Amino acid sequence: MTSPIVLTANNIRKTFNGREVLKGVSLEARAGDVIAILGGSGSGKSTFLRCLNLLEVPDDGEVMVGDFRAPLARNRKGRMVIADPRAAARMRGETAMVFQGFNLWPHMTVLENVMEAPLRVQRRDGAEVREKALALLERVGMAAFAGAYPKRLSGGQQQRVAIARALATNPKVILFDEPTSALDPERVRDVLALMRSIAREGCTMIVVTHEMAFARDVSTLVVHLADGVVESSGSPAHMFGLDASPAFRGFLAPAP
Amino acid sequence: MADGSGFYAPTLAQLFGAVPVTLLILLVSMTLATLLAAVLTACSASASPGLRAFRAGWTFLFRGTPLILQIFMIYYGLAMLPWIRWGPAWPAFRDPIFCTCLALTCCCSAYIGEVFRGALAAVPAGEIEAGKACGMSRLQLLRRVIAPALIRIALPSYSNEVIMLAKSTSLASTITVLDITGVAQGIISKTYRTLDVFLCAAALYLLINAILSAGLRAWADRLSIDRPTPKAVEPL
Repeated sequence: MTSPIVLTANNIRKTFNGREVLKGVSLEARAGDVIAILGGSGSGKSTFLRCLNLLEVPDDGEVMVGDFRAPLARNRKGRMVIADPRAAARMRGETAMVFQGFNLWPHMTVLENVMEAPLRVQRRDGAEVREKALALLERVGMAAFAGAYPKRLSGGQQQRVAIARALATNPKVILFDEPTSALDPERVRDVLALMRSIAREGCTMIVVTHEMAFARDVSTLVVHLADGVVESSGSPAHMFGLDASPAFRGFLAPAP
Repeated sequence: MADGSGFYAPTLAQLFGAVPVTLLILLVSMTLATLLAAVLTACSASASPGLRAFRAGWTFLFRGTPLILQIFMIYYGLAMLPWIRWGPAWPAFRDPIFCTCLALTCCCSAYIGEVFRGALAAVPAGEIEAGKACGMSRLQLLRRVIAPALIRIALPSYSNEVIMLAKSTSLASTITVLDITGVAQGIISKTYRTLDVFLCAAALYLLINAILSAGLRAWADRLSIDRPTPKAVEPL
């Protein structure tokens, strides 16, 4: 039995200031997958994730989310650009993203942050959106803070709200960009526990992270990016076993 | 100044009669300059090189030349052009209040435009990305994410510009407008009590600006998120 493909990235390339950060990276995510993207700093893992929802426009390659193909085209100078902003917005609406820096909207309360996209982008019914948002806040343990503004919250609390915001639109896939890197160790545990539980519920996730335990215990696929290419990939059992590629084992445990 | 009380009251009353003219110029120029500044800011964020160059040129011109020359050129200078003097717009350009408002709008839009542009650049990129990532259209992004952040960032500097504008309206008196300053000069030419009359005029400008600042501060407090805007600088 195979689940449907929800996201495909084909041969993604990206160059910044003459440095080729991504040299042709491909990935396929099926419904229910939890894909951990690992790699050293500068390996291109965040850039790759940001190409998946077109926060970065790849220089080459294609991205598909569900039935939406990223509307990319070359302009007169030969650079790849978003050809149709409306189509790009629709495609992004099928995904959600959780950022390292949370990026909650500071002028909205916690509840308003969670309700914003379902209400304004998906134009769903207000009462139903509110009910679901409150249920999600309950789910992430933030119901007591529904009326608070983000700056009153700790980093871990903000990140849990951001996860509720991501879940609120029923996205086909949630992209996590180093969601615990800006948190202190105690908060890291809270956020990882929450991510584990939404993974168990069958949420499709692509996670750029440095949390090896999360990758080993929760993910269904581990991808090791190095120097802008997929150096190796496989099941966590394989990648964290003795048969893993020497480069990945070197990444996990640098020689003493 | 022995007869101080007998002089100040009627002088203030007479000057007070000119407050509506000053307020008219202030409110019209402030509204139009703010709208024009928003357009200029949109130009600065446009992909079109032509619009960007237009904004840069406008700012260079109106910020780089004295306001009083702009007022003189519009009121006295444009009348020398046949297509203005004999054209359909002449009734407007003949009116010194219209000319003052036009000059103030152009000049202040250049300053306020720079305030807005700086604020736009200061809107945290992450908040915009969060909006894009959940599928907002460009208009939604502007209305729901960028504008609320931009207004909060721009408001202190914008308040400054509005208060400068309130005082600049006094230049209207140089082209025959009977605003507070214009009426004051009229009284002086009859009484020769320069200091007394200008003191009264200054008091009226202070009053106008006190009300303006209080209004702008109340607006800033209402927008500021869950705490009032800081009122005093902490000692270092």
